[in-house]
Amino acid sequence: MGSSDGVDGTMNRIMNGRQRQHAPEVRGADRARNRAWLRWVPAATVPAVIAAGVLAGTIPARAGDPLPTKTPAEVMALAAGHRTHTFSGTIEQSSELGLPELPATGPTAGPASADGIASAMEFLTGEHTARVFMDGKTNARIQVVDRLAERDVIRSGDEVWFYSSRDNSTAHLTLPGDASDLPLAHPGTPAAPHTPQELADKFLAAADSSTAVSVGPDVQAAGRAAYNLLLEPRTNGTLVGKVAIAVDAATGMPLSVQVTARGASRPAFSAGFTSLSLDQPDVALFNFVPPPGSMVEELQPRHHERQSLNPGIPDSHPTREDLAAALEQKAGEYTTGSGWETVVEVPAEAGAASRLDALLAGNPLLAQAAVAVPGGRVLSTALFNVLLTDDGRVYAGMVPVERLQAASAAP
Amino acid sequence: MSSSVRPETLGTADATDAAPPGGWGLSLFWSELRVLFGRRRTWALLLALAAIPVLIAVAVRLSSAVPAGRGPAFLDRISQNGLFVAFTAMLVSVPLFLPLTVGVVAGDTIAGEANLGTLRYLLVAPTGRVRLLLVKYAGALAFCLAAPLTVGLAGAAIGAALFPVGPVTLLSGDVIEPPQAALRILLIAAYLAVSLAGLSAVGLFLSTLTVVPVGAMAATVVVSVVSQVLDQLPQLEWLHPWLFSHYWLGFGDLLRQPLLWDSFASNALLQAGYVAVFGALAYGRFVTKDILS
Repeated sequence: MGSSDGVDGTMNRIMNGRQRQHAPEVRGADRARNRAWLRWVPAATVPAVIAAGVLAGTIPARAGDPLPTKTPAEVMALAAGHRTHTFSGTIEQSSELGLPELPATGPTAGPASADGIASAMEFLTGEHTARVFMDGKTNARIQVVDRLAERDVIRSGDEVWFYSSRDNSTAHLTLPGDASDLPLAHPGTPAAPHTPQELADKFLAAADSSTAVSVGPDVQAAGRAAYNLLLEPRTNGTLVGKVAIAVDAATGMPLSVQVTARGASRPAFSAGFTSLSLDQPDVALFNFVPPPGSMVEELQPRHHERQSLNPGIPDSHPTREDLAAALEQKAGEYTTGSGWETVVEVPAEAGAASRLDALLAGNPLLAQAAVAVPGGRVLSTALFNVLLTDDGRVYAGMVPVERLQAASAAP
Repeated sequence: MSSSVRPETLGTADATDAAPPGGWGLSLFWSELRVLFGRRRTWALLLALAAIPVLIAVAVRLSSAVPAGRGPAFLDRISQNGLFVAFTAMLVSVPLFLPLTVGVVAGDTIAGEANLGTLRYLLVAPTGRVRLLLVKYAGALAFCLAAPLTVGLAGAAIGAALFPVGPVTLLSGDVIEPPQAALRILLIAAYLAVSLAGLSAVGLFLSTLTVVPVGAMAATVVVSVVSQVLDQLPQLEWLHPWLFSHYWLGFGDLLRQPLLWDSFASNALLQAGYVAVFGALAYGRFVTKDILS
């Protein structure tokens, strides 16, 4: 093609050369065709091997020895009695609640001091990864791993730092002396996902006589053998079908929480460790100094007593349980029903309705998700519903919409 | 462009005809590297890559302060710390510039020799097609390493020249000293080199299909763009972990404290899969192909 001289001659030489080279192996055209066919074998084999490897990887690993049989009560006691407060691990959280997905790179990942509905919404959608480092009860660090960004919550003693790499902003909070040991989340602080322990604690606390508790087949979580504690509401009045909590056999630590909606086959929400080490993390991780050039905002700790409502929905809570808990804190205990059917009511305040409108106007995706129903608008998900009435009241619960409407209609 | 006929290769072939195959492959590899990095085109590609951080640095230097949170990540940090030029430039070059240059080199591997009429000479010498394929791929990999390294080093150099250099703030908010930051730049370059290995294998395969190098180059670049577009479509979420460009921007994990190796490992595994699949395809095509030029 490119050569200018003696093309034919060279071609002949090359063809001869090829044949001479292959001569001992090739006996006739059939053999040559066979061999040509063999040359494509790797191209067919490699994808097959990869597919086989992927399939083998999806088969859940079996624990070597079956765990000693335990009754549900014993597993619950194991989980309740765990004393593991020193570990490091990676948590993955995945939600398919049916809410519009907010991109993690979008306006939601604002300054470190940002709180409010947007970050709460963000942690209710899509997938999130966080690294958690805990050293005792008062040293903790949570790193929310975003693409090319990170949000950190660092607690060292009474000092809590929030850092967002996106705009290099820092917020600082000094916990009041009477603050509880854990959790990190404090009313009025920026959003952070919750660890499986916090979630499991909330669900276990809610497990009363209205819940059927059983122990499923052993599972593996973060490479550790775990009991599979299953909580199933006995009532039809809730959206939740099943809660599965993997309880580490060795330590009793909850390793993962999966919440499945009634009638669904796959979990609508799951959070769990993908890796876990019980070694003490590097102490230097908890010594946070605001980086150069960072704006530091001082946050005031809020108190748990009743206060003005902002803006009707709590800030940083990925589950309905948290939602309820925070609503209870902020609005007093306006609940009806019990157990899984609990409906939380936030009473209307002056200007609340207009604030809700402003909130929806500021969050187009949220406004889109909120469907108009008689008496207000409903934010409907697979696991919980929130009813925003026209007069500014908010009803929330892991219950069907009708129940919220009934609660709002009741005197 | 000068012809890539390599007299030294042919000479070596004659001289070491009976030499063990391993040594022969190595000398062929060195000769391949000499030809690749002796080409004006390769230098033009590397210079174009080096121009990216220079443009970024000069633009930031001449403009007023970049507001935080605007533009590509790290851009707003440049004026405080010149080393961020390297991070920004590597980030900016990932979607298009690196795949473009790698596509040119990988698409040229076999088709370029065929186009110049030198492929048959390489094969007349008892090279063996498999070894030639391996050497060509190794050459493309060498460029995959050289390209991000060029961006990173040029970025660090121009950043140090135009801006103050000091402790670098990682994504986690922790601060590391400049020598450690230089190490992270090298790590990111290695990450990007691994990221481009799969695309190189695709380019190598496409290059065995044709004798028109431009066609193989363009096809390789198109494949990389298509992969990135598919990665953006939420409807194809099941496909995303299988796209070779899926972890390209995952190098941010190397800027966390402590280092997060998850995406490096996932990326390496994925790229190894692509190398295996397209390497096998290239092998099947190249050893059964009639070499006419």
